[in-house]
Amino acid sequence: MRRRSPWLCACALAAYAFLYIPLVIVVVYSFNDSRLNAEWVGFTLDWYRKLFQNDEMLTAAGNSLLIGLTASVVSTVLGTMAGMAMYRYKLRLLPLLVLTPIAIPEILMGVSLLIFFVMLNITLGLVSVALAHIAFCIGFVAIVVRARLAGMDESLVEAARDCGASPWQTFRYVTLPLIMPGVIAGALMAFTLSIDDFVITFFTAGAGTVTLPLQIYSMIKIAVTPEVNAVSTLLMLLTLLLIVVASRLSPNLLRSDQETAP
Amino acid sequence: MKNPLAIAAAAALLAAPAHAADKLHLYNWNNYIAPETVKRFEALCKCEVVQTYYSDNEELLAKLAAGAKGYDVLVPTANVVQPLIKGGQLKPLDKAQLPNLKNVDPAYMNTPFDPGNQYSAPYAMSTTILGYNDEKMKELGLPTDTWAVIFDPKYLEKVKGRVTVLDSSSELFAAALKYLGYSANDTDPKHWDEAAALIKKAKPYWAAFNASSYIKELTVGNIWLVHGYSNDIFQANLDAQAAGRKFHILQGVPKEGAVLAVDNMVIHKAAPRPDLALKFINFMLDGKNSAELTNLIGSGNPNLDAQQYIKPELLKYPAIFPPKALQAKLEQLQDLTPAQRRLRNKLWTEIKASK
Repeated sequence: MRRRSPWLCACALAAYAFLYIPLVIVVVYSFNDSRLNAEWVGFTLDWYRKLFQNDEMLTAAGNSLLIGLTASVVSTVLGTMAGMAMYRYKLRLLPLLVLTPIAIPEILMGVSLLIFFVMLNITLGLVSVALAHIAFCIGFVAIVVRARLAGMDESLVEAARDCGASPWQTFRYVTLPLIMPGVIAGALMAFTLSIDDFVITFFTAGAGTVTLPLQIYSMIKIAVTPEVNAVSTLLMLLTLLLIVVASRLSPNLLRSDQETAP
Repeated sequence: MKNPLAIAAAAALLAAPAHAADKLHLYNWNNYIAPETVKRFEALCKCEVVQTYYSDNEELLAKLAAGAKGYDVLVPTANVVQPLIKGGQLKPLDKAQLPNLKNVDPAYMNTPFDPGNQYSAPYAMSTTILGYNDEKMKELGLPTDTWAVIFDPKYLEKVKGRVTVLDSSSELFAAALKYLGYSANDTDPKHWDEAAALIKKAKPYWAAFNASSYIKELTVGNIWLVHGYSNDIFQANLDAQAAGRKFHILQGVPKEGAVLAVDNMVIHKAAPRPDLALKFINFMLDGKNSAELTNLIGSGNPNLDAQQYIKPELLKYPAIFPPKALQAKLEQLQDLTPAQRRLRNKLWTEIKASK
């Protein structure tokens, strides 16, 4: 085993601190008995109680979850198909079409989707937001799935076909289980992207449709209350739970490396 | 115990379909209407108020320009009402339906942004003034009624690193121009150069350009003097009192004058319910309803009839009902032409880059 350099450890520690200290502070202050996010006064669960009485915040959180789930399920199915198509048929135009939404600035995508929805006379609301989220999530899922496919041993598919499996059976029993970690990682990615998207949601949401990021953002002007900390803490818990469940379902799910195979 | 609840629930279920169609869509700033006001309006018009929020006038403009609809009433700031009118986004107000319009102080009516108030009715306002920690400013013997205190090194030396100014070129230039004795809307490039020089000279003494966290900094006591919005300074004091601080955060109105921003109620051209929109506007022009917002967030109030309903302790804030002498010195900011905007941006970049 190689000796770990103390420098490397220090850098890693600093990087983790940089990533996690702000999150820890958010969580800690959600239990603080003061409206200010400034100093520790005392422990309280008041903000959680207030949060659960705040209809606007709860509706927003409900909308966010609904949109996030819909967007991740639909874009995972479509994105997996797109990823397979990109891998199987080396078309030049297809990757361009699927991956452009990742590269275009969000604001451009938001405005063009809004103009598009207005043109088609679609009433702006949950449906338009969900459609927009699906549109930008597909590319991310496709990329992850294609990367997973690229690392897959093609001879396994050939072997399945040799043994008489139909194309569907080959997909269902060989390809899909092998790329499953990629598919689930893509779905998780789509969910997190959807649940915290602000720019595209802002443009495609209609009168009366509020998601959590929109709600929180509109509160910034008037000093964020610890209710926002409380709702963020709950969201973090939910995300953590998702990751734990996903890694339980398939232990090497969150590992993208192929070298573990003997 | 259970029965009345069950009956109420059943009644609510039965009543819901009848009310479902009657919705007023209000596109508003967050926390910019008192919850009890909303409840009373809902009871009065037997409708539901659905609010959606924006946090910046430009957001509102962009969204409407792209064709978003479904909103009845919007609450943009005066200088945004003008482009909305020009863009044909608004429906003229039927003043026969707005008897309460007479409650508005004439000083805030008939502005160049909407001559004759054909499209807009004043809702609430804020001024850009000084906010200060009373204990510290007294201790240091600094004046709080002049822009000099944030621009003149003579004063700044004593509060170095304890001052923040707004991170907004239009607001800071307006303050500097006012201090120099010009109009906040002055567009003479020479005067702008003078203002830029003044700002550059004062910059080393400021802790930061800050537009969002100065409320907290004031409350905690890290910052003693700010150039900020009257509503925010009011909030800072409430927070400071709630946190049991010994000092107060007070509003100082510079004698040179200041910037005024009036938010107006307007009706979108594609409003699904213009009838409810008019009812709502008239309702909000009622002194009692207008006063509830001021009592909640300390916003400036253009409604003369509201004065009698304001909590007495709020009357000490000059920004809420600016007296006549002060009104004359308040100016609303006008939009810049593209050429002026370029020059302003260039000066602003130089200021930000200067040491």
